[in-house]
Amino acid sequence: MTAARQTAHRAIAMRSITKRFPGVVALDGVSLEVRAGELHAICGENGAGKSTLMKILSGVYQPDAGALEIHGQPARFTGTRAAERAGVAIIHQELNLVEDLSVAANVFLGRERRTPLGLVDDRAMEVETSRLLQMLECRVAPRTRAGSLRVGDQQLVEIAKALSLDASILVMDEPTSALTEAESVRLERTIHRLRDRGTTILYISHKMDEVFRLADRITVLRDGRHVRTVDRAATTPQEITGWMVGREIACHAFHEPRPRGAKLLEIKALTLPWPEHPRGYRLADVSLDLHAGEIVGVAGLMGAGRTELLETIFGVSPPTWAGTIRLAGQPVRFIHPREACDAGIAMVTEDRKRLGLFPDLDVAGNVSLCSLREALQGGLLSRGREESLVAGPLRDTGVKTPGPHASIMGLSGGNQQKCIIGRWLLTQPRILLLDDPTRGIDVGAKAELYQLIDRLCRQGLGVLLTSSELPELLTLADRILVLAEGRLTAEFARAEATEHRILEAATGS
Amino acid sequence: MAAPDSFLSGGLLLRRSEWALLAAIVIAIVLTALVDANHSYWFQPLASLRDIARSTALLGIFALGAAVVIIAGGIDLSAGSMIALSATVCAATMLALAPAEMVGFKPVGGAVVAAGCLASLLAGFLVGTLHAWLITAVRLPPFIATLATLVGLRSLARALATSTTAALLPTKNSQINVYDPAFKFVRDNVWIPVAVFGLLAFITWLLLTRTVLGRHLQSLGGNEQAARLAGIRTDNVKWFAYCYAAMTAALAGLFYVANESVAAPAIQARGHELNAIAAAVVGGCSLTGGVGTVPGTVLGTVFLRVVIDAVSKVIKTEAEIYEGLIVGVVVVLAVTFSQVGQLAKGGRRLFPGTLGICVVPVLALLVGSVVAMTTGPRAGIAAGLAALGLLAAVRLWEGRQAAAARPA
Repeated sequence: MTAARQTAHRAIAMRSITKRFPGVVALDGVSLEVRAGELHAICGENGAGKSTLMKILSGVYQPDAGALEIHGQPARFTGTRAAERAGVAIIHQELNLVEDLSVAANVFLGRERRTPLGLVDDRAMEVETSRLLQMLECRVAPRTRAGSLRVGDQQLVEIAKALSLDASILVMDEPTSALTEAESVRLERTIHRLRDRGTTILYISHKMDEVFRLADRITVLRDGRHVRTVDRAATTPQEITGWMVGREIACHAFHEPRPRGAKLLEIKALTLPWPEHPRGYRLADVSLDLHAGEIVGVAGLMGAGRTELLETIFGVSPPTWAGTIRLAGQPVRFIHPREACDAGIAMVTEDRKRLGLFPDLDVAGNVSLCSLREALQGGLLSRGREESLVAGPLRDTGVKTPGPHASIMGLSGGNQQKCIIGRWLLTQPRILLLDDPTRGIDVGAKAELYQLIDRLCRQGLGVLLTSSELPELLTLADRILVLAEGRLTAEFARAEATEHRILEAATGS
Repeated sequence: MAAPDSFLSGGLLLRRSEWALLAAIVIAIVLTALVDANHSYWFQPLASLRDIARSTALLGIFALGAAVVIIAGGIDLSAGSMIALSATVCAATMLALAPAEMVGFKPVGGAVVAAGCLASLLAGFLVGTLHAWLITAVRLPPFIATLATLVGLRSLARALATSTTAALLPTKNSQINVYDPAFKFVRDNVWIPVAVFGLLAFITWLLLTRTVLGRHLQSLGGNEQAARLAGIRTDNVKWFAYCYAAMTAALAGLFYVANESVAAPAIQARGHELNAIAAAVVGGCSLTGGVGTVPGTVLGTVFLRVVIDAVSKVIKTEAEIYEGLIVGVVVVLAVTFSQVGQLAKGGRRLFPGTLGICVVPVLALLVGSVVAMTTGPRAGIAAGLAALGLLAAVRLWEGRQAAAARPA
């Protein structure tokens, strides 16, 4: 009787789960129990095994050893479809959308609704999709092409896809990593609604504030092992972070003022048209200054124009913009990133995998790419010269790699990002544009990146930084500009900026 | 994750897959020497070597160009037609400059031959430029742009041959004969195309591994958007890649003229672009771009030609009928074998579900009918049944393995 009740209360039981990949033990005898209807947060640094554990739970991987029980029944999923039948759905960290299909078609991919004649029932799927998106408070039309959406909206579509399964167990692998604060708040409301309906939620996140707002219990993993599971009420964020990294990390705030140098960049009344959109512009009348030794933060919701602003400066978008951009007093109008590089601007792009990394080149090749001329010897690339060329940036940015010729895809997200920053440092830029540089990077690596950015700035670089995480801007930036729907709505000095005031300006309320 | 082999990976000259390809070449040669009823590899090693060397060099020259485009993330389907155009441009130029000698089977002189060859290479450059424009400015997908020139250039070459002969000769002709001793000399001295192939392979290897442009080609193929955002002028890199492909095809076209003593645009090198792409793919180039090497492409070309030669030695009559079949089978097997490791450990099946059951008789029928046509009906039936039994056994075994992996 008691045994039966206990089983009923236990949605998931994982016992001694072990998973090996060539060269690494991703999970080493991890046991975990999740009560029905609770929100259970899983914390750990990148590489701790969180995602692997969740992929085993949702049938993406099969464990090498160990047992899994769902609602008291032993389970061994051969694929995600089998897991879905057992009521387990996962929202992956990486986006898995078919770009050329509509939002509705993506939500129902592989489970298309049919009419009595057996034809695809687009109407029914669109209605259902818009219901799900409404629940997420997302204003995307179900017929929109998935590929035309910004990352944040795509993530919401992924979430809608998992919700459409009506699963009793929902795994969320860093669902807010691409969302702005406002979108995250909306997602939290949805999560509360799901929990009220009795859905068991496993929640992976790096964001401590989120975890402590939402979770009932917290499990910490480190290096593929279970460290401990605790009630939220019985612990503190500092304690959790300590368990995650295995040491206490001091919270680095960069209070020591940085000396501000000459004016590097001056933008006046920048307007970027958007012909096919009712609003008519991506950016309207944006003006800003950037000085040497200064970090200027750009806050804004998804679609506010943060990326477009950096892209316009860097010459990525076609030069249809109006206004003036002055670089050290000289008006410029770049039509190709090459010209921006030559003028001393560097840009670390938003989506590392899609816009930054070269999977077929090794670490050295990824770092040296923009300054290959310096690795030439007698007109030909020299392996030795390339190694010594990249040794500097790899050391300065603190990249942990088995060697300069290791695969870039084998590094953690934080190290990949450091490689890309290293690539640009080699071009000796005066201005560094950072577009959401710590997206999907774990806490420890984030702190290291903050120190790196601060150090570069003290060396006289001007940094223009966008972020979807307000605490990041508040930690790093000297001034914070806020964009809302392509317009500049506020500018705060660090001392006067608070999350609340920034959010107000970003939502235009 | 397996250790990545990159362009920079030093130490061993070849990658593991390339050593495997080398071993496959040796095995194919030894097997042919044993199986061939005439044992021509034993008795006429030099003649056999000469045949294979010539065909390998002729294919290899433009396979290198195809590899460069593929590594840069594109595709060039037009190589065969470019060869025909190059051959025709060379012959037509010579005809225009020295009509009397061309008709009278006399030497046309070094200057005229040089003019013909230069005109061909120029035609290659122009076609490459056209491709680059269609792809980067008009924004056609490379497949579409070069599909258009695949059909268009051959037609253009035929029109050029007809109109040139109509204007300069008493009767118009669909082909132009070339008798100049310079071309005869190239035909009779196999080492020339082989040396040109070797030199071109070396230059291409140097380009891809040791130059900035080569690194840019590889990064363009690996991630085009990131390459542009890293400040690489991707449009110019593409321009180079398509010119390289078209000009290597133009160079190959000159050897086709020498080999066949004629520029015959209607039939020359028809379909050979696919052999070049196949050679690159067998050699390890990935059609998604970013991956591929020169040693791999060279070995892929050699392997393809050795297997084609082997089959022509074993099947005596009309071996060229089977060339397409061989290329197809070799491409499928080479790419399948490169995934054997994955198949073995990844729980992936070659014959999954209903599709797996249906494909077993399809493959058996294919094997049986080919053997029946080459050897005789009885052998065909026997081979077909043997294949059916073997494949069915593999299917059953895989099914058992998969069932065992499921929970009770």
